[in-house]
Amino acid sequence: MTVLRINGEDHDVDVPPDMPLLWVLRDVIGLTGTKFGCGIAQCGACTVHLAGKPVRSCQLPVSVIGGNEITTIEAIGGTPEGKRVQEAWLALDVVQCGYCQSGQIMSAAALLAQTPQPTDADIDAAMSGNICRCATYVRIREGIHQAASGRPLGLQVIVDGERP
Amino acid sequence: MKKRWKRVLIALPVVLVIGAGAYAWLNRTDPADGKAPSLAGAPPSSDPVARGEYLTRAADCIACHVTPGGKPFAGGLAFKLPFGTIYSSNITPDPDTGIGRYTDEEFVRAVREGIRRDGKHLYPAFPYTSYTELSRADVLAIKAYLFTLPKVRQPNRENDIGFPFNQRWAMGFWNAAFFRSHRFEPDANRSEAWNRGAYLAGALAHCGECHTPRNIGFAMSKGSLLAGETVNGWRAWNITSDATHGIGAWPDAAVAQYLSTGHADGRGTAGGPMGEAVDHSLQYLDAADISALVTWLRTVPAKEGKDPVVVDAGAPGLRASNELLPGSDPSASDMGRQLFAGACASCHQWNGPGRQTPQAGLAGTRGVNDPSGANVVGIILEGVSMRVRDQDIYMPAFAQTFNDAEVAALANYVVHHFGGKAGTVTPAEVAKRRAE
Repeated sequence: MTVLRINGEDHDVDVPPDMPLLWVLRDVIGLTGTKFGCGIAQCGACTVHLAGKPVRSCQLPVSVIGGNEITTIEAIGGTPEGKRVQEAWLALDVVQCGYCQSGQIMSAAALLAQTPQPTDADIDAAMSGNICRCATYVRIREGIHQAASGRPLGLQVIVDGERP
Repeated sequence: MKKRWKRVLIALPVVLVIGAGAYAWLNRTDPADGKAPSLAGAPPSSDPVARGEYLTRAADCIACHVTPGGKPFAGGLAFKLPFGTIYSSNITPDPDTGIGRYTDEEFVRAVREGIRRDGKHLYPAFPYTSYTELSRADVLAIKAYLFTLPKVRQPNRENDIGFPFNQRWAMGFWNAAFFRSHRFEPDANRSEAWNRGAYLAGALAHCGECHTPRNIGFAMSKGSLLAGETVNGWRAWNITSDATHGIGAWPDAAVAQYLSTGHADGRGTAGGPMGEAVDHSLQYLDAADISALVTWLRTVPAKEGKDPVVVDAGAPGLRASNELLPGSDPSASDMGRQLFAGACASCHQWNGPGRQTPQAGLAGTRGVNDPSGANVVGIILEGVSMRVRDQDIYMPAFAQTFNDAEVAALANYVVHHFGGKAGTVTPAEVAKRRAE
């Protein structure tokens, strides 16, 4: 039995030590908000936080997690950065098909927690490991700026007739 | 005139006799059976087949006697050498295509003297130059284990080498110059663990075959044991006790961790041929045997070696960056940085601790501190795929993703950012590595 602390709750799971966390989250515990994308830590869709840092859960064996706190998309709204990111995401309609967005939001929240006012270059560098098949990158960047500054951006500006 | 001819006629047989005598003397076989130190993972009392399995692993026979995806021990792996390509042989017990007809005597001679069943010389790509130190009992334990394996009918592939290198008899002269048949001699002034480590490293694991520089005759240069060499484009690092250029400054625990898991925190992760050595061989060694290896490695005389690498664990790029952001670095190449952002940063992170696993850690490793970028290029092209202690260690290969100029720019950026040095990788070198 392994005990994993996920979103503030302890979960006893009976899984092999080399099982990646993503399988435990989705198939064993039933937290399906985190998505399977490539399976080789190349696309970012499965990003969760381990001790506050973004990790790719598809390549993270449960044996290396230990007592570290895991946060998934289901609970990221409970953190100040996660809440602001989710609000900005809705305001800007960042999402298109949505498959990658759990991972995008987890990476964006981690960036803001570490760098509260990121530049475009910061966003590009920190978000480059999260791939979006619908190419919502421009809105992702705006969403992060909006979550950081609290000022509305993008199409909202045109509708409101207000300059950022 | 006549007198001179007469003198030559007298001298010639004398020269021939002396030459033949010298040839025979230099090619003499050490008649001793040899006595091996008792290994923790294969005590003499244990079952010979189990002992043989452990010794076969310690000697890493499988590394060469299999092709990717091929049948284990059936051979066929290509060795691209400067003078042509030779192929490893089938060492399964199949009587027609493998070693099924070898007697004990023939097998011992092949392993320790480099002479196969039909009396022809083997090329020293087969490390009889190291295995010559093995005890007869250990060689026969390996044979006992190999003879329990499934017989694979797979004829050996013909070597593709030109004259004069295809003349196997000529290896007798190479042996006369560079090979001495001899058994392991324990050093009574050293500890039991030291002797065990020496036997493991020298006779079994044949570390020197990659890590010891080669001389002009392509033989291991005895005076600079384990001082580092380049093999098929990969740098087999200086692992002497030199504190700056070797592993003298590594704590014992770090060396043991590296050997048994392929990774030492903040110091390096095995990839390429060393990754294979860990994958196939070293991870299966008993902890006490690993510890003996470390004991012995500690005493290898310090050498600076060729193209020495000095690790800078506090390179400017490392200091300026954090996990998520590279920091500002106007001197970095834009192309290299963009490629790193797109393909590498999400696992390795900008300050190099490794996001998923410590194996992805780049900071403080010799690879990123080597201006030649040899191993960085190798890893970018080939990636990593190994399984150590129930854990998969994986990095995708980027050979098909990036062109030569991109690989060169990326490798030079990695050396600049993580090692604080000016990388010298050129697209032409990358093209050459692809061909190896």
